[in-house]
Amino acid sequence: MSWDYFFVQAANGAVIGVIYALIAVGVTLIFSILKIVNFAHGDLYMLGGYCAYFVIELLGFPPLAAMAVAMAALFLGAIILERLMLTPLYSDATERKDEYGLIVTFGLAYFLRNSAVIAFGPFPLKPPSFIPGVTRIGNLILTNDRLVAAGIGILLILGLLYFMQRTIWGQALDAVSQSRDSAAIVGINPRRFNSLAFGIGAALAAGAGALIAPTYSLAPDMGVAANIHAYVIVILGGMGSTLGSIIAGLMLGEAETLFTAFFPDPTRALAYQNAFGVLMLMIFLVFRPQGLFGRRHLRME
Amino acid sequence: MKGLHICILLAVSALVLFFADGLSPYWMHVAIIAMYYGILAASWSLLAGYVGLFSLSHMAFASIGAYTSQLLINWYGIPIPLSMVAGIAMCCFVGGLIGWVCLRMSGPYLAIFTLGFSEIVRIAIATEDQVTAGMAGLHTDLLFPSAATRLPYFYTAFALLAVSLVLMGLLVRSRWGLFLRAIREDEQAAGASGVAVARFRILAFAIASGFAGLAGGFYAHYIPIITPSMGDLDEMAKLLVMAVIGGMELLPTAVGGAFFVEFLLEKLRDLADGGGGVHWQVPVLGIDIELHNFDQWRLPIFGVLLLLTMRFARNGLITPFWLHFMRLGEARVSPPPAVRDLPQKDPGT
Repeated sequence: MSWDYFFVQAANGAVIGVIYALIAVGVTLIFSILKIVNFAHGDLYMLGGYCAYFVIELLGFPPLAAMAVAMAALFLGAIILERLMLTPLYSDATERKDEYGLIVTFGLAYFLRNSAVIAFGPFPLKPPSFIPGVTRIGNLILTNDRLVAAGIGILLILGLLYFMQRTIWGQALDAVSQSRDSAAIVGINPRRFNSLAFGIGAALAAGAGALIAPTYSLAPDMGVAANIHAYVIVILGGMGSTLGSIIAGLMLGEAETLFTAFFPDPTRALAYQNAFGVLMLMIFLVFRPQGLFGRRHLRME
Repeated sequence: MKGLHICILLAVSALVLFFADGLSPYWMHVAIIAMYYGILAASWSLLAGYVGLFSLSHMAFASIGAYTSQLLINWYGIPIPLSMVAGIAMCCFVGGLIGWVCLRMSGPYLAIFTLGFSEIVRIAIATEDQVTAGMAGLHTDLLFPSAATRLPYFYTAFALLAVSLVLMGLLVRSRWGLFLRAIREDEQAAGASGVAVARFRILAFAIASGFAGLAGGFYAHYIPIITPSMGDLDEMAKLLVMAVIGGMELLPTAVGGAFFVEFLLEKLRDLADGGGGVHWQVPVLGIDIELHNFDQWRLPIFGVLLLLTMRFARNGLITPFWLHFMRLGEARVSPPPAVRDLPQKDPGT
């Protein structure tokens, strides 16, 4: 077991960690504003990947432009979905809103996944590379696709952090997450920010899907694993904490990749890779439900 | 006549049992599977609809019941009914354990926790292939190995469904059922009124999981092979679709939802087979969408139906009919007079 192997695995873990973080940040954002866990988030990620693929294949866009188109399309699509399906969450006439949010997003996931199987076929599709070839840094060999995915992913996350902390809209989102009523009193329309949060979350997921597609191919059921990873991350990082999701995303990417690479029985390692994350999720939920960086006011009991 | 609806139900059951012989083998199979889902939907609605514990691990419990039952037969050679009981006991125990562990969780946290649990169960069953035969599937012993038709299975499924419904119905109508619903409405208020919230949450989990184990055990000894995908999220989504479309807050409507969805799924398959392929062209992008397998669209259709139900008829599609049916034969109570019809007091006096 050489150090080179370790570094290659660690670098791969960091790349996948960035992608996980992009997905999980959306889940956290939606949770902190709409107070629901979006069970369809992984399927939005899947749709984003396919959307970018078809924009490349049919309209001949370059891959990065296709990613932008996919993000914009999912942003709009998610806002329409939110307007159509999630508005009862904001009315006082709805009893047990948690349950409503759960069932609707779970049903949406079921619908999207099964429609994708039919519309896109069950076989994996692979879009063209961003930049073909590999890059060597010393003994470290990485495909350019992974480097691009990590780079753009980090840019998107930094953009989100800037948006959340330095712009008035981001501050307004934070205000709505802390108290819907107080935000309304100071003149923020919470409904508009519900749509915005859902749209941004979906756009980030779509970006993640488009970024990872050249490395791992697209499949209609890729959303299931992505969803579970996203929950592991948001629970680890703390529901509602953007920074926590980013750190936990990187941690999970590393932990999984290294776990798989160094587990004594390689055939089982791959199978138990997901179970390992899920086990962490369950342990955290029992012993530290607010996660590593959770914000107390967002803890839902 | 107060018990009219009970008489009607009994009469319909008797007719179904009497004429079951005339069903074609295919539709009898559909009916048996519908009853399997009926037990699961009813017990899930006991947990999610009555107690408000939105668990996503119900199908995982069904597969635990199925695998426990068959593995015990393989290892110790015990008779099938005994092994099914052992499967139920296993599910009750594990369910109670899960209920105990997630006592402090509610809403989305509980859903995520149980989702995680069901994934672990599925992955463990798929991976430990020396024990469970993994993805290849575990061959199981049949309940009636010498039966020429599916009729004995039909009667067994019917009996299991009826017994489960009666037991669960007695539970929700008892004082305990009242406690369970109190927990759903407000856990803290229920606790303050003297309901042992923790004990009843664990109990609800154990009981619902036990019924899931019963359904799983029956399924294992009806279909000669069980696979890990029996407990995967797609199955759970299907169960959720059934219970929600029917109405998850009452046991009979959940069962009705299971029947409705299962029969419609098969009916749509029938229609699709007769209709042949469908060809769509999207003019703008020039994409050809060929729908050779129209029956695949069945699943998205039910996704849409679930969303529409949640959006516009949150109590379920069958609930209004059921409530109407339950009032059959009762004297129509005239509504109390509206306030404006009451004689007005003279403001001067």
